[in-house]
Amino acid sequence: MKRTFAAVLALFAATAAAQDATLLRGGRVVPVSGPALARADVLIAGGKIAAIGPNLAAPAGATVIDVSGQHVYPGLIDGLTTLGLTEIGSVPGSVDVREAGDVNPHARAWLALHPHSELIPVARAAGITHALSAPAGGLVSGQSALVRLAGGTPAALVVRGPAALHVAWPSGSAGFDIAQMFAEPELKTFDERQKEKKKNQDKALARLAELLARARTYAAAHAASVAGQGPAPELDLALEALAPAARGEMPVVFRADAEDDIRGALAFASQHDLKPIIAGGLEAWRCADALKAADAAVLAPVDRLPRRESDAYDAAYTNVLALHRAGVRFAIVTDDASNSRNLPHHAAMARAFGLPAEVALRAITLAPAEIFGVAGALGSLEVGKSASLFVASGDPMDHRSAVIHVFVDGVPQSLETRHTHLYQQFKDR
Amino acid sequence: MNRLLLCAALVAAPSTLAAEPPTAIVGATILTVSPAGNIEQGTVLIQDGRIVAVGADVKVPAGARVIDGAGRFVMPGIIDAHSHTAIEDNVNECTDSVTAQVRITDVIDQQDVNIYRQLAGGVTAVNVLHGSCNAIGGQNAVLKLRWGVTDPAQLVFAEAPRGIKFALGENPKRANFSAPGPRRYPATRMGVAEVIREAFLEAKAYRREWQEHEKKVKAAGPKGVPPVAPRRDLKLETLVDILDGKVMVHAHSYRSDEIVVLIALAEELGFKVRTFQHVLEGYKVAAEIAKHGAGASTFSDWWAYKLEAHDAIPYNAAVMASKGVNVSLNSDSNELARRLYWEAAKVVRYGSVSEQEALKMITWNPAWQLGVERWVGSIEAGKQADLAVFSAHPFSPDARVELTLVDGVVRFDRAKDTAARNAAPAAGGAK
Repeated sequence: MKRTFAAVLALFAATAAAQDATLLRGGRVVPVSGPALARADVLIAGGKIAAIGPNLAAPAGATVIDVSGQHVYPGLIDGLTTLGLTEIGSVPGSVDVREAGDVNPHARAWLALHPHSELIPVARAAGITHALSAPAGGLVSGQSALVRLAGGTPAALVVRGPAALHVAWPSGSAGFDIAQMFAEPELKTFDERQKEKKKNQDKALARLAELLARARTYAAAHAASVAGQGPAPELDLALEALAPAARGEMPVVFRADAEDDIRGALAFASQHDLKPIIAGGLEAWRCADALKAADAAVLAPVDRLPRRESDAYDAAYTNVLALHRAGVRFAIVTDDASNSRNLPHHAAMARAFGLPAEVALRAITLAPAEIFGVAGALGSLEVGKSASLFVASGDPMDHRSAVIHVFVDGVPQSLETRHTHLYQQFKDR
Repeated sequence: MNRLLLCAALVAAPSTLAAEPPTAIVGATILTVSPAGNIEQGTVLIQDGRIVAVGADVKVPAGARVIDGAGRFVMPGIIDAHSHTAIEDNVNECTDSVTAQVRITDVIDQQDVNIYRQLAGGVTAVNVLHGSCNAIGGQNAVLKLRWGVTDPAQLVFAEAPRGIKFALGENPKRANFSAPGPRRYPATRMGVAEVIREAFLEAKAYRREWQEHEKKVKAAGPKGVPPVAPRRDLKLETLVDILDGKVMVHAHSYRSDEIVVLIALAEELGFKVRTFQHVLEGYKVAAEIAKHGAGASTFSDWWAYKLEAHDAIPYNAAVMASKGVNVSLNSDSNELARRLYWEAAKVVRYGSVSEQEALKMITWNPAWQLGVERWVGSIEAGKQADLAVFSAHPFSPDARVELTLVDGVVRFDRAKDTAARNAAPAAGGAK
């Protein structure tokens, strides 16, 4: 208790504005990192959680909010989105998700974030305080950023950029698309199409392997030239951007759903000493052993259809349960932008199909924070961490629950959105 | 012809069921979605595919097959008023701006696994609509999810009135996609409205032609020389049936202006819009929709995927309902269809709709929208026994469908499903 008090004092000293302090009084506090506290206070000061416990004294000038009967949770983190990069899906001028060409390691999400996107307050009003904003498409899609969903400039949004390099794994499985079969100039058999797909995959992977090797060479040459041991390599921004991932210093997120593709990505990562993360991972349950062996995390949306007709109807719902049982690290994500607010509902479906409730909650808070290396500041309610949290009328996985307060780094956020404005404008018309 | 065959098939079914013992679900919380409200520790008694009794003190006859409902929640089977299930790759006949002659009933695949997957989400009936690529699309099919039948006609909800798809806005003017071949008229909302007006004026002329022909037939008498009949036109014949109130119009729509423009057109030409589908800006013109008497079938919270969805709000269902519009929540998706019970739970949060009213938006309200509320949509004696049995209240985050019955027949049983996958481990999923 004394130590907590000292910590509070230290924080106050560090931040001149003691009147910025907020005390959330008497809520049920769910820290995620530890057991829920039936009734406790949370003191926010200097943008951080200054204390958690019963009957905390409110510092002079602090705003006291009565949250009795309500629930306090760490801000939700959606570990795979295009938030800030897209506005209206069908209007190309409002979408900055996919760069031209196939190899874009130097496409950096944080250079295209639209801080005033209408989608950001909508996600935030659902308790989502942070998200991974990632480019997509091509072969090497670009670099993602872990962003806070509050702030007036791209720089203000960025918590960690780069967070990861994103690769769209070239699928080697042809699938069965009858429309595409008829669109082809010559009718091909399934085997022929499968062979062609495999050939294209081999070509793409050879290209990726070569790029990684060149990036490592480039980085070594650059380091040598800085040390005065050789000439500077000819400037190549793509290789320069690729180097940290090629050297295993930055995780590589491979987008892959099919079992073969996931296993392929893991083998490729192992062969090239990369740190793999699997995005999508619809069939991750089929290769949980390989994921565990590679220590690869999975970013998995839950509300999806099974990949194969022969799969159990709930294969996508129980996917993360299989990962949990196998000890594979995973985060539940939306892989969306406008529907990011439904993140807790993906977790709810996994829970309804057997994932323990506390694991489901962890999968949308602390787990993604750990995967992207920001768990020191985000993902749970602990003294010293960022005061990014929300207060809800009930369990956020219950669709009926309302979000009542949202704080990002200690700053209370308006819950008004484009939607509440239009609602107010028209509800009594 | 198809219809005759179909009737024969359906008439045959009850006679085989007649020998079956009754089924009773006992000890469950029954969400009747009727004036009886929720019944604790209740029993639903089923005989010959129908609900024969529901209540807290229903006597279970000797020999009845008993389903233990302890701790479980029974609700009416969910009805999805906007689906494209079981017709993969046959959604759109895009080649003309008016394709009223084509029928979804001609392309049903009774083996589509999505039928089973949706049963596992408590869905028992779906409105399979033509796509939205033309102003007047094809005729829809209301299906009951009788998974396991071998003839696609056996999926058809025989009592359901006929219906047709209309479409307004970006899709019929093809703003968001390009199809092979030359551009097709219309390319603006002006053109969409004009196509509909012209089609109905043509249909009225066609109707007059036939009326005059019938007069001539009458005048000629049975012994006179029969007059030459006008050439039969299946497209115009369908439009005439709309004018005669025999075919329900389900109109894909987004923006408020196109909604009120279609209402004005319909009132001018003399037909009714039964439902506006999607109707994401319905909240802006809810009074007009209510006045016309149309229902609204919408998404709970989808938005931002195209320009005409930019003003979509999750309060849409609540606002329209508050103005007296019959509102349903639909999926338009094989994936979303599996969790419509949670789509309904969302309107409790957005706009404070009561739980009773929210449940109605996936049961009785869509039943009314499809003209089948006399047979399904609530748990009441006399109705067809389409039921979903949940492990918890359907709105709770622990809810999972355990059993789904269509016409009293168990078409999905989670216990059996999981037992079967233990026998075939490659199927995966939780054991």
